Amino acid sequence: MLKMVRHILLPLWLILGVITSAHAILPIEKLESYKGAQAYLVQTKTLPMVDIEISIDAGDRYDPVAKSGLATVAGGLMNYGARTDKGSLSEAQIADEIADLGANFGISVSGERAVVRIRTLSRKDLRDRAVQLTSAILSAPTYDVKILAREKQRMTTALLEAETKPEAVLERRFKKAVYGTYPLANSPTVQSVANINAVDLQQFHRQFYRSDRMIVSIVGDVDKTEANEIVQSLLRKIPQSRAAIAKLPEFERSPIESLTQREVNIPFDSQQAHIAMGMTAVTRDNPDYFPLLVGNYVLGGGGFVSRLMSEVREKRGLAYSVFSYFAPGKDAGIFQAGLQTKSDQASVALEVMSSTIEQFIAKGPTQGELDAAKSNLVNGYPLRIDNNRKLLDNVSSIAWNNLPLNTMDIWTKQVEAVTLDQVKAAFQKYLAMDRMKIVIVGAKNQ
Amino acid sequence: MRSTLLRFSFCLLVLCHGAWAAPENEAPNTHEFQLSNGLRLIVREDHRAPTVAHMVWYRAGSMDEINGRTGVAHVLEHMMFKGTDKVKAGEFSRLVAAVGGRENAFTSRDYTAYFQQVEKSKLDEVIKLEADRMSNLNFDDAEFLKEIQVVMEERRLRTEDNPSSLLNESLMATAYMSSPYRHPVVGWMNDLENMKATDARDWYRSWYTPNNATVVITGDVDPQAILATVTKYYGVASEKSLPVRKPQIEPPQKGVKRVEVKAPADSAQLSMAWKVPKLQPGKLDDTEPYALELLAAVLDGYDNARLNRVLVKQERVVNDVGVGYDMVSRGPELFLINVSMAKGKTIAQAESSIRKALQEIKQNGILESELKRIKVRILSDQIYKRDSIFGQAMEIGSTEMAGFSWRDIDLMLEKMQTITPAQVQAVAKKYLVDEGLTIAVLDPQVRKSADTGKGSK
Repeated sequence: MLKMVRHILLPLWLILGVITSAHAILPIEKLESYKGAQAYLVQTKTLPMVDIEISIDAGDRYDPVAKSGLATVAGGLMNYGARTDKGSLSEAQIADEIADLGANFGISVSGERAVVRIRTLSRKDLRDRAVQLTSAILSAPTYDVKILAREKQRMTTALLEAETKPEAVLERRFKKAVYGTYPLANSPTVQSVANINAVDLQQFHRQFYRSDRMIVSIVGDVDKTEANEIVQSLLRKIPQSRAAIAKLPEFERSPIESLTQREVNIPFDSQQAHIAMGMTAVTRDNPDYFPLLVGNYVLGGGGFVSRLMSEVREKRGLAYSVFSYFAPGKDAGIFQAGLQTKSDQASVALEVMSSTIEQFIAKGPTQGELDAAKSNLVNGYPLRIDNNRKLLDNVSSIAWNNLPLNTMDIWTKQVEAVTLDQVKAAFQKYLAMDRMKIVIVGAKNQ
Repeated sequence: MRSTLLRFSFCLLVLCHGAWAAPENEAPNTHEFQLSNGLRLIVREDHRAPTVAHMVWYRAGSMDEINGRTGVAHVLEHMMFKGTDKVKAGEFSRLVAAVGGRENAFTSRDYTAYFQQVEKSKLDEVIKLEADRMSNLNFDDAEFLKEIQVVMEERRLRTEDNPSSLLNESLMATAYMSSPYRHPVVGWMNDLENMKATDARDWYRSWYTPNNATVVITGDVDPQAILATVTKYYGVASEKSLPVRKPQIEPPQKGVKRVEVKAPADSAQLSMAWKVPKLQPGKLDDTEPYALELLAAVLDGYDNARLNRVLVKQERVVNDVGVGYDMVSRGPELFLINVSMAKGKTIAQAESSIRKALQEIKQNGILESELKRIKVRILSDQIYKRDSIFGQAMEIGSTEMAGFSWRDIDLMLEKMQTITPAQVQAVAKKYLVDEGLTIAVLDPQVRKSADTGKGSK
């Protein structure tokens, strides 16, 4: 049923970027390390179900430039055929088995990691079959040539479609601008996808899908012994090779540039202009993460109570959605702000957004704004951990970002400790208007 | 394989029957009340975590609008944040944020709803705020003039620059001649341009009354304590008589309708929509709506379901496929198949493949194993959905708005389990026919580059 929603909900990965908390009530238990993989468990006994996630250090940033899209294709095709002890499983057999189990299964590949998630009923026979199937998919995908050809075709169609969408064109150009020489600057193209062959997939999988690059997170109705069994069963057939993988380039700070160097204007015949502004920022384990998190709540992260929303939408009616966020990863992180507005008011909206951000960097929040931000983040903390799915997000983020296991216990204390001076200092340390990349798609002169 | 599956499904059925489908065997966790002003309250206890979802549902959506004022239900939803006598414009969101709450609102064809999620000790505060704006909304014209601009931006974002939305909009406006379902929820742009603050105020006065509202609260709560709080705050609003809703029944369709939409895109898209029955309140024994739900799942309910397997993976005629049917709604229902073309394939090829796949079901029926698979999915989802208290509130509210009771949800799922392959085949034969079919085609246009060079800034 079609629904008009008042807010634009942030994509999940954005929310994950700022979530790292849980009550001390439900501790994270560290499981036995198995074949170099880390593993963690949160036991929740109230529902007969279990969520399992395997994070693999095999994200888009390892794509060769000429084969941009390789990591995504390698991850995405894993469940389209696999070998087991008893023979091969076809794409259709895998899909039917997952459905028969009443399980949910998903693979996603982002910049830093590939993530495999399975949700199953916790009854042992069902759970075991789900884990065995996942193990086969993770350890021995077939990468059938015909299926690869089909999926390349589908991806190409989607890429061509994306070029007709202002938001997709914006995102692609913004990534290029903000990531600079870091490999995440590249996006797949029709040509780079065409360059990928089945041997590339096999090689990529052999190279990156190793147990020492994997983290298993489990939340649900299993005890520690059962969880250890799950981990071992998942990883038993996965090699733990230690062949060296070439080091990625350092993630460099966005340079000071003149406006003409920093700004890209792309003509586009859309009713709205789409605008993005941003620069490199911090990783999740940076000690300044909390002042930036709290500060950004005031600037553009706090929904209807943020300054950007107030200036752009509430006072001037210029946009439906306007936001800013930090997306802190393990090795790289960025700051991004954005909005969409009627094409002929792009320059006005950009001016309001820029001056709002500029003023915030210069002066920081008021004491009242800081208190309101902390109050929301601290009071709202229980909502970040109130079901298995959210707990899994938290455990996984803590493990991936190498944060202390008590991160969830001390999260609200860290928020409470943030001072005005810290926010101001952190924004001035990491952000600067003369470093901000600006991409505008579809603006029309008035 | 097959015997394992059967045994498994049977076990699961038994398991689920004990755990969920037979609430009379356990302490009731859902409670229903009605205040003397007509407001209904439904509380579901779920003590897994110390949080609560609080929602108020008004049974007024875009299907209650009249021509020339389309989109007003949604515009009013925006204006609900613009102040009451006690709470100034913008304060509502600030007060919810201060207690750590998350809030949102949404409008559909059938209803408009508002919600907050909070830690349980903050529940009273958001109830107080929500109850206040049920009766005391008080926005000025200046606020309206800014907000209508925001709504037009929303329409540009969601519809004008989105070819799939444009296609869907034309499909609905073509499939329905008389039913208000023919209008988009966000409203036609021209109606938004001509909307006045008084239109929104009239809408508010007509429909926002306690006797047209259902409050749904799920989470870690004590139902009796909640009843007291809800009575204290929502109880002060007085009951009002609601406008008469005229039936606006869609006349029977007399043959295939086609519409073409030209919009900037790379691939063509095709939507095929058949008029089909929905479930009627009080008639839960009708088998056809359940059979249609299961037919939709057989076609598109899992990775290897029929349309995905045949059209995307085997014939490679389409890039993506989606099937939609919702047996629970206030207005008329469509059984929808949407596809986007694979490179080099035509609309005619896709339509022919869809018709062939449907013909296969009409002639030969579906396998017992396919149906079992779908039923297992439905049962496991019953357990998974308990993970989200918000999702539970959504399900209760939307079911109630369509004229059913939350008590019907489990009954519907039980009925679903009794449907046979022959019944699924029968609804495919009876309803997926050309007499009730509307076809909408997106004809992709090259997006012209704007003539501006470097921007002004």
